[in-house]
Amino acid sequence: MSLLDAHIVKTRSAFTVDVRLRLRAGERLGLFGASGAGKSTVMSCLAGIETPDAGRISLGELGLFPPSLPLHRRPIAYLTQSDWLFPHLSVADNVCFGLHNGERDGATKWIGELAARLDLRRLWHQPVTHISGGQARRVALARMLARRPPLVLIDEPFAALDRATTNELIAALQEWHVALGFTLIAVDHRPEILEKFCTRAAVIESGQIVQEGSWSSVAAAPATPLLARLLAS
Amino acid sequence: MLAFVLVLLYPLLGLSARVGPWQWNGAIPGSTSSAVWNSLFFTAIALVIDVLLGTPVALYLARSGTRDRIVWEAAVLVSVLMPPLALGILLSLAFGPATALGAWLLRIGVPTSNSSVAFAATQVYVSIGYYILAARAALAAVPPELERIAALLGSSPLQVFRRVTFPLAKLGLAAALSIAWVRALGEFGAVVVTAYYPSGMPVQIWVNLQDAGMPAVMPLLVVFLLTALPLPWLIHLLAQKRNVTA
Repeated sequence: MSLLDAHIVKTRSAFTVDVRLRLRAGERLGLFGASGAGKSTVMSCLAGIETPDAGRISLGELGLFPPSLPLHRRPIAYLTQSDWLFPHLSVADNVCFGLHNGERDGATKWIGELAARLDLRRLWHQPVTHISGGQARRVALARMLARRPPLVLIDEPFAALDRATTNELIAALQEWHVALGFTLIAVDHRPEILEKFCTRAAVIESGQIVQEGSWSSVAAAPATPLLARLLAS
Repeated sequence: MLAFVLVLLYPLLGLSARVGPWQWNGAIPGSTSSAVWNSLFFTAIALVIDVLLGTPVALYLARSGTRDRIVWEAAVLVSVLMPPLALGILLSLAFGPATALGAWLLRIGVPTSNSSVAFAATQVYVSIGYYILAARAALAAVPPELERIAALLGSSPLQVFRRVTFPLAKLGLAAALSIAWVRALGEFGAVVVTAYYPSGMPVQIWVNLQDAGMPAVMPLLVVFLLTALPLPWLIHLLAQKRNVTA
């Protein structure tokens, strides 16, 4: 039984993105491809930032498209390359932004765990304008997970981070995946990053999925010359 | 720079000019006090209307595509660029009792000439364009990505405005409001045509000048400056302070 069942058709200037994705609850998919292959378009259509031209997207019993479900009704967490923290709020208020008043009390223990694991406690009451880039990334990650969403989308979230911070955040994501059981789609153009926390790979080229399977099967027999070059580089 | 500022502020010395003993009233006792009250009260009403009508329009303009924005802003700009006297005459003609709309409004008890409604409506017409254009700039400075993230975190459009857009744009919105305040409070050309009665401060200053000369102008002029200038001046200082601390 799929949690996410998506067929996304979206016309771009160079090509049409036409992608079908099916993920079971708790599955972790790495969407891999060269820059400009259509990965972010797929993510943005799933999140609801962009509306597909055609297709169908459902998350469990919830229809996301068509018609396009408003963003605030989608139980989806979306982390992009930029942190987009709310600059007028503290670290604490950013992390708890998605929790409504009633939920805040019930989530206190969970939020405390998030803050401790991501080393945010000493920053907790600071304005986000006073923290570093790496700390901002942790806050964005904590804010995304605070609502304990069933579907998590992350689009090249480690692009600007050093290797140590990247590994640390990947380890944290893996722990919370075990604890929360969310379904994850991650996008990156570096397979070695995706391989660390995604069990399944889907390779996208010019808006089409050209290969799907385990990382070892994709690496052993790349379906296209471009994919072979990307894996070799 | 100092020389320029001195030249710029030189007219303020006019307040110390020897014009004879100042007198609060002109020819009609009580008219100056009621002009102050009329100006403050109706300008406040006009600003409430500016905010209620203008903010959604400004938000729409701030978030619309380039082509849409150019077209609609050009329309809003007409009201900003209109010479006040021309606007007053046009308002009188368009809402006057000779038109179907004016006649109907008069029938339901809303006189559109020389009335409180005419006064406040004229102030709205002269100020709302300024408010919208300045508010649009303030709202456009809030990255739409922040609003999208807030929505994805479960906030409805109204909550997004209350929790993200407004706090980030509030100083710019206050500046927009202060521009509208000065514009509405200081309006003479349009108001003198549509609402000679009830007189506001600008019209009363002119009436006092005609009836009693400069001594009857000076006290009201001081009140006029004290009610018009501090709000935008303070907001400008606050904005500068925020720019320095940001």
